[in-house]
Amino acid sequence: MAEADPASLPARDAANAPARVAVIGVGNSLRHDDGAGLELAGSLRGRVDPAEIAVIEQEGEALGLLERWRDAAAVVIVDAVRSGAPAGTVHRIDATRQPLPADLHSSTSTHAVGLREAIELARAIGRLPARVLVFGVEGERFDAGSGLSDPVRAVLGALAEEVLQTARGLSA
Amino acid sequence: MSGAGEGGERTRVIRTDYLARVEGEGAMYVKLDGREVTDVKLRIYEPPRFFEALLRGRAFTEAPDITARICGICPVAYQMSSVRAMEDACGVAIDSGPLRDLRRLLYCGEWIESHSLHVYMLHAPDFLGYAGAVEMARDHREIVEQGLQMKKAGNALMAAVGGREVHPINVRVGGFYRAPAPGELRALHDPLERALETALATVRWTATLPFPDVERAPELVALSEPGAYPIDRGAIRSDGGLEIPPAAFDEHFVEEHVEHSNALHARLRERGTYLTGPLARYALASQELRPLAAEAALAAGLGAVCRNPFQSIVVRAVELVQACDEALAIIDSYEQPEAPAVEVIPRRAVGHGATEAPRGLLYHRYEIDEDGTILDARIVPPTSQNQLAIEQDLRTVVEGGLDLPEDQLKLRCEQAIRNHDPCISCATHFLTLTLDRG
Repeated sequence: MAEADPASLPARDAANAPARVAVIGVGNSLRHDDGAGLELAGSLRGRVDPAEIAVIEQEGEALGLLERWRDAAAVVIVDAVRSGAPAGTVHRIDATRQPLPADLHSSTSTHAVGLREAIELARAIGRLPARVLVFGVEGERFDAGSGLSDPVRAVLGALAEEVLQTARGLSA
Repeated sequence: MSGAGEGGERTRVIRTDYLARVEGEGAMYVKLDGREVTDVKLRIYEPPRFFEALLRGRAFTEAPDITARICGICPVAYQMSSVRAMEDACGVAIDSGPLRDLRRLLYCGEWIESHSLHVYMLHAPDFLGYAGAVEMARDHREIVEQGLQMKKAGNALMAAVGGREVHPINVRVGGFYRAPAPGELRALHDPLERALETALATVRWTATLPFPDVERAPELVALSEPGAYPIDRGAIRSDGGLEIPPAAFDEHFVEEHVEHSNALHARLRERGTYLTGPLARYALASQELRPLAAEAALAAGLGAVCRNPFQSIVVRAVELVQACDEALAIIDSYEQPEAPAVEVIPRRAVGHGATEAPRGLLYHRYEIDEDGTILDARIVPPTSQNQLAIEQDLRTVVEGGLDLPEDQLKLRCEQAIRNHDPCISCATHFLTLTLDRG
């Protein structure tokens, strides 16, 4: 991982989405495919300049996102979803002006405040970043256990590149 | 999804296949024959057996980090019950001093985070007549902002003591990997002062909410320790006269499989349904509240015991005051310990640990080998302990609301479940709740 000289970076709190653009992986790594977003985010860490693009892994309930993306002008969110599409299908949704589809269950929507609710809550109180892009990868299994299913693993590499290009485009 | 109105005139079934605003997915099923409730089921699909199996064969020192991952809402509770159980097995007790203070401080952070999520985002919409926090936020932005501010204070505590905000990594058997410097904790003073003011205002506000007149009578069970509000240790006590060390849990509590749920239902042997959580803690230990919290409870009209589960929102607000005030006291008197942990040498033994997760008693039991290898693990989460009490609440609510319109009765049932802040992801992840008028 290329270490940037700390003195050359503006003073920023690493926990609070320091860069203008953030890539956020959401999920639970002990729920099989629910860990897809986290794994993708983890694979990008070290490939990006943290002063340009913040990489955030968000486990647990999604409300914490409101704090973590506080300083970001644009966020790219990656999460596992269940909509009935074949496993490995990638849904690309621009949530900047509209909610996530209600029938697209993100993994965290099974929690108290899911990704959809967190985005809408932020919108209602004016805490939504100016651009919100969501990549939902259709999962196959969400039971307890680690490791991604084959269809999800098969698309993760290409999806990571697409997410990275998208984030770079937003930060340009 | 609702299947209301199924069946004939006499029987009806009320069901909700997706239960919103609980920590997981739930299904509720209530069947009525005329005006008689004939069946009540809260369905839970998955016990923490995966984690119990995962723990077997691992080192005793790994338990806090593995069990922390069972729940994204209460990881500290899992860590604290597991370290207490391992220390118990190894003949070590951290019952006083700065290490215990730091554990209570971390636990206060989790209470603040979890209770503020529930009070402001999950429970408040029930009383203000909104479908959820998003709808409520459009009209009551200040409530959501208060919740976020409180949650942030809890997050900061978790980050300072636990190493990060979610799934703390600084907890170990015997103490911590690193004890925070006094200056790091002093930085939390002002945000916590503000959180305390918000918590006090929240007690006043919740006391004004409209509560249905419901009184429930399960045996109330909580940890108990003279001189401290129950959080991180103590004997297991009940208002029915039970008083046992955590090691005697199995002699008095039994878990049973029931057909409609993968989770085990816990009950008190020969006594039946019991309830853990804020109402139980308050009933058994309100005399141990710090003065600010006790005054707030009194001003809110809470007596020495509150048996209306709808009023648990007031009790949670009182516990928010308690947690903020205690955290401030710990921070203000904190002296960095000489070592961040005491040495814990494994031996072949069985250990028990019980602590108070925000939503109730969390019991862990481990058997370890002489080299510290975990031979057996058992975890009894608060939600499976409260399940029978929640089902009985549902029955009471339906019996008292037979003349309500369908949607209102269904909502009342969902509220009856939310009253207990079930962390269904502890007992299961994908839960379905069904209420059924056939």
